[in-house]
Amino acid sequence: MVALLAIAVHGPLLLMQLPAFAAGSQTQMFLAKHYASDWFGLWNPHWFGGFSQTTSAPLTQQVVALLSHLFGITAAYMVTQLAVVVLLSLAVYRFARVWTGARTAPIAAIGSIFLGSLALLVYREGALPATAGTALAICGASFLYGFARGNEVLSLIKAVLLLIAAACCDSMTAVYGILLFALPTLWLASADADNEEFGERRSPAATFIRGVIVLAACAVVSGFILAPFWSSVFHSSHRLLSPDETASNFLLQGSNAVRYWIVPFGFMILALPYLFLSGFAARRTRALFLAFFVALVVGLGTTTPVAKYLLGGFDNALSVELFTFWATLLALPLVAVLVLELVTRYQQRAVILVWVAAVLTFAAPLAWMTYHPSTENRFRTDYIANFLNRDNHAQFRYLTLGFGSQFSEVASRTNASTVDGIGDGPMLPEAREFGVSHLDNAKSYGSAGMEALRAVLKHANQYGLKFIFVRDRYYEPLIAFAGWRQVEAYENGNVTLWSKEDVPPARDLNTHTTLPGIERVLWGVVPLLCLILALLLMIATPERDEEVEIMALPTTGTEPIRTQEAI
Amino acid sequence: MKTSAAIIFTIVLIGLIALGTAPHAESHTKSDTPEAAVHIFFDHVRAHDWNDAFAMVNPGDGVTKESFVRDIAGTDGSLKTISSIQKVDTKTLNNSGSEANVRANLQWSTAVGAVHETRDFKLTNSGGDWKLDWSAPQQVQQAADAKPVQTNYLRWDVVSSGSNSNEWGVANAEPPRTRIISMNAVDYNGSVVIMGEVVNEDTVPGFVTINADLIGQDGNSLAQESSFDKISHTLLPKEVSPFRIDFPGRKLAEVKSVKISPTNLLVPASADPTVGVFDQHIEKDATGKAILRGQLTNQSGLVVNIPHVLATFYDKSGKVIWVSDGYLDQALKPNQQVPFAVDVRDDIANQVQNYRVTVNYYNSSRS
Repeated sequence: MVALLAIAVHGPLLLMQLPAFAAGSQTQMFLAKHYASDWFGLWNPHWFGGFSQTTSAPLTQQVVALLSHLFGITAAYMVTQLAVVVLLSLAVYRFARVWTGARTAPIAAIGSIFLGSLALLVYREGALPATAGTALAICGASFLYGFARGNEVLSLIKAVLLLIAAACCDSMTAVYGILLFALPTLWLASADADNEEFGERRSPAATFIRGVIVLAACAVVSGFILAPFWSSVFHSSHRLLSPDETASNFLLQGSNAVRYWIVPFGFMILALPYLFLSGFAARRTRALFLAFFVALVVGLGTTTPVAKYLLGGFDNALSVELFTFWATLLALPLVAVLVLELVTRYQQRAVILVWVAAVLTFAAPLAWMTYHPSTENRFRTDYIANFLNRDNHAQFRYLTLGFGSQFSEVASRTNASTVDGIGDGPMLPEAREFGVSHLDNAKSYGSAGMEALRAVLKHANQYGLKFIFVRDRYYEPLIAFAGWRQVEAYENGNVTLWSKEDVPPARDLNTHTTLPGIERVLWGVVPLLCLILALLLMIATPERDEEVEIMALPTTGTEPIRTQEAI
Repeated sequence: MKTSAAIIFTIVLIGLIALGTAPHAESHTKSDTPEAAVHIFFDHVRAHDWNDAFAMVNPGDGVTKESFVRDIAGTDGSLKTISSIQKVDTKTLNNSGSEANVRANLQWSTAVGAVHETRDFKLTNSGGDWKLDWSAPQQVQQAADAKPVQTNYLRWDVVSSGSNSNEWGVANAEPPRTRIISMNAVDYNGSVVIMGEVVNEDTVPGFVTINADLIGQDGNSLAQESSFDKISHTLLPKEVSPFRIDFPGRKLAEVKSVKISPTNLLVPASADPTVGVFDQHIEKDATGKAILRGQLTNQSGLVVNIPHVLATFYDKSGKVIWVSDGYLDQALKPNQQVPFAVDVRDDIANQVQNYRVTVNYYNSSRS
C-alpha cells in the first residue's frame, strides 16, 4: 500500500518530467548517455577536453543507461527516480519498524513520501544518486540490525549487498550517510542484545563489533570497486565554491533559512520540541536521536561551525541539503510515534490535521520551485547542437557562458567537446590556478572566475576553442576585446554565438588515462550486480511482518451511536 | 531526565549557532574605527544596499542619493555597471580622532577581469560613528551647447557569400594587407614580453590577431601566446595599433627566435564612434608611481560603453619600449571628456621620449 501511495504521489510528477531540467538530473543523464553507448569505455571526451567517468560514482548512471535502451534517456531517469522513491518508502518502513515498532512503521513510511526535503532533492536538485544511495543505505542498515542482533545470514548478505550498492551511488552517502544510519542501528542492536523480547540473549559488545566488522568489510569492498573514483577525489585540486553552491548563515540570510531549512522540514518543525523531549529520554531511541541531532546541526550549514569541520571539502549547499534530508528521515520513526499518540488522543481531528500537514509539507517545495526556478527563461538548445554537429564544427572545442543547468543539455546533444565541465573532472591548468571548476558560471566566482576565464581564453588556440555560446551578456566585453566576433544569434538574441578565426582544430590534450581491465570490469559490473542481487533477494525472501494491531478509526463522539427510525 | 536532556541539547544547538553566527554578526556591525567604517561601507556597496551605504557618507555639495548611486554603481552600460567589489584592503594614513584619512586598495570583479583601484577616503567622526566624506564626482567637461550628433563616418560593409553563414570574416575574399612595423622583446617581471605595432596597409578594414611562438635554443617551441586584449583588433585603412604579448615564466636568454604570425581578415567596420585623446602627460601619483594621464573625448553621437586605452611608449630612437593598457570604468557620452590614467613602468619612465594613446571600445548595442 505504501508503495502504491508513493507511486500515486510521485508518479504523475515524474511522468511530467518535473526534474528533467534540474542541473543534477541533466548531469546524470549526460553521464548515463556515455554508459549507454560505451559501458566499459570510461573516457568521456565531451567535458574538460576529455575526462574519466570515474570522477562520479556510477550506479545510478548505469541503471539509467540500462533502462534508456527501453525508454529513452529522460524517461529512464524518471523511472529510476520513481523506483528510488518507492524503495525509500519501503526502506523507511523497515527502519522505523526496527526503532519504534510495527505500528509506527507505516506512518513513518507514508511520511517519507511527503517529505519536503525529498521533494526538493528530487524535483529541484535532480539528486538521484543521493536519494538512491540513502534509500539503499537505510535498507542496508535495517538488515544490518537483523544480522547483528539475530545473526541471520540472509540479513548479512542483503546488508552487505545493499550497503555496497549505496556506496556506489553517491560519495556523500558512502562517507557520511551509511555511518549516520548504520551506527545508531548497531548501537540499538547491542542495546537490544541482552533483551529477550528482541530474540535470543547475546553479548552487546559482540553484537556491536560484529556489525562494525560488516561495515568495515563493506567499506573495503566498495573502496576497491570505487578505487578510481577515490583516487580522483584525493588527487583533485582545490576548487572554489560559487555563492550558488554555498548555503550561507541562515540567521543572517533569511532566504537561505527558508530555502535550506524551513521548506525541507515543513510541518515537521512543529515536532522538533517532541523530538528533543522524547528522543534522548527513551533508551532505545537515544542513538537515533543523536544521529538526528548531528544531521540537524550539519544541515544548518555555515550557521554552525560543525559542517565546515565535519565535511571539509564536501562543504557545499547540496551536502547541507542532504544532511537536512537525512535529519528528516532519521526523525521519521519518532515523528511517527508522535502522530500515533496524537491520533490516539485526538482521534479523527488529529488524522485530518496530520494529513493536511503532510500534504502541505510536500506542496511547499513544489510551490517554492515555481517561484524560485533553478533555470529561468529556458531556451531551446537544438540550434546550438545542430550548429556544432554540422560542417565539421565538432573538430573545434566550444564554451558556453551563462547556460546554467542547460550546460549539460548542450553537452549531451552534441559531438563536440568543451573545455568546461561539472564535477570533479580535470580542470585546465589555467582554471586550476584559480580553483574555478565551472567556467560557464565564471562570474559567480568573482574576480577568480573572470581571471580563470581570461586565462583559458588566452590559450584558446592551444585548446582549439573556437566557438563561444553566450547567454549572459555580462561576458560579451571580455570576449569581444579578446578577439572573438559575434556570428549568430539564437532565440531572438537570447543566445549569441561568437567565433575566433585563427583557432586551429582541437588536438588531444594528452590527459587520457586508461584504467586496468580489472578496474574497468569491477566498475562496470559489480555495482549493478550488487543492486540486482540485493533486490532479487529482498523480493524472493520477504520477511514475515509482525502482526500489526489495526487501530480502528474512532467515532466522532464519546456517546454511543444511537439509531432511530427515520421519519 | 526527559526535560534536562532536551534542555542540554537545545543549549548545545543554540551555542553552536552562536559560535557560527557571532563572527559574521560582529564583522557586520563594528564601525568604531575609520578602517572598519570603510569596510562596512563597501559591504553595503557589495550588497547593493544603497540606503545603508548612503547613510554612511557625509554628502558634499550637490551630492544626492541618486548622484551617489550613479557615481558608485555606474551608468550607461559602463564597466562599473557590471562590476562588483571583491576585496578591500585598508590602511589608515592619519587619524586625529575627529578626522581620518584611509587608503583603500580595492579589487573589483569586472566583466573584463579583476580591476585594482587605490582610493583615498577622508572620514569624519560624528558622534562615535565614522562617515566617509563624499564629494560630487569630477564634472565631465562638456561644451555648453553640446548635444548628441550622429556622425557620418564611412562604414565598410562586407557582403557575405552566403555559403558560410556562420563565418563572420569573409573567407573567400583576400585579406587586407597588414604589416608589423615595429617589434621589441624584453624581460619584465619574470616574463618575456613581445611588443610592437601593426598597421593596416590596405584600403579596406581588417580584423587582426597576433600570435607569437617562442623558439628555444634547441629549435623547439617554448610557448605560444596571443595578443588577446592588448591590441585593437579592428583596424581601419592605414590605422596603427600597438600589441603586446606576455609569456609568463619565460626568460629572454632561453629564446633563440620569436615566430610572429598575424591573422588578418576582411571585416565590416566603421570609423564611428571616434574618440579623441587630449592633454596626455606623464606624472607621479600619490604613491610616487609614474602614470600617463589624459582626457578622452567622444566625438561622435554614440555612447561608448567600455573604453579601453592602449598606450605605446617610444624611446628617443622611436623604438617601442613598452605597451600598457587600462579599462575605463565610465562610459563615454557624446562630446564629453573623461579622464584616464595608464601605468608606466617606473624603470623606463626616464627613457620615454614619446607616447601615443589609442582607444579601443566595446558597445553593448554593437557587438
